[in-house]
Amino acid sequence: MAVMQVLSKLGDTRYEWDVAGVTGGDPAAVAAVREAERIFAQHRARGATAFKVWPGRPAERLDRFDPQAEHVLLVPRIAGG
Amino acid sequence: MDPIVFLVATFLITCLAIGLVVHLVNDGESWSRTPSVSWREAHERAETLLKEMLTAEEYVQLGERGYLDVPSPSEPRWTYRVPHKAGRVSIVQDGVEIESLCVSPAESLPPGDVVLVHKLMIEGDEQEYLRRANRYRLRVPARFLRTGA
Repeated sequence: MAVMQVLSKLGDTRYEWDVAGVTGGDPAAVAAVREAERIFAQHRARGATAFKVWPGRPAERLDRFDPQAEHVLLVPRIAGG
Repeated sequence: MDPIVFLVATFLITCLAIGLVVHLVNDGESWSRTPSVSWREAHERAETLLKEMLTAEEYVQLGERGYLDVPSPSEPRWTYRVPHKAGRVSIVQDGVEIESLCVSPAESLPPGDVVLVHKLMIEGDEQEYLRRANRYRLRVPARFLRTGA
């Protein structure tokens, strides 16, 4: 199961999809990954940055939605204070 | 104008104005998609995520010292010191603070998520992080810094 978490003032919102189901053409899994991709694009358009993350390893910036990525975090844009 | 028509028109305009304000406050999300989450819940969720994303040592350090050290991916002598509570991020070189950075998420986030944003940006997009930050170089006597790598 792949997870995308979007950070916001509400904490984080999780979106999940079944990678194997997407590969196998399962309609529910395909719909879920399309919704995740739409949300990814929406937040990126607002200036959010996406990262692939793994436990115990440095994060890696993600410029395009990757349906195979196991864990993605989207963070809001940052600004100098 | 008929007073009843005037009242109805005023009521409808007020409802539309309130709806527009709520829509903007929710960053364009429709009402039904915005979960009702209290600040406490958001805070707890952020702490849980932070704990998942840090190693046990990092999480203990954050609790005990009040900051998280994140090594610079590009400059081996630099460590970014990210505070758990509000405050500036420091760049530490050879144990000495050499720069202070004023940078934060543009959107209000729970404290745990703010720490995570700093860590992810430093690890995954350090140059953009530094480009966005307001940087304050501190005057450090040369004798406190080692020369060379």
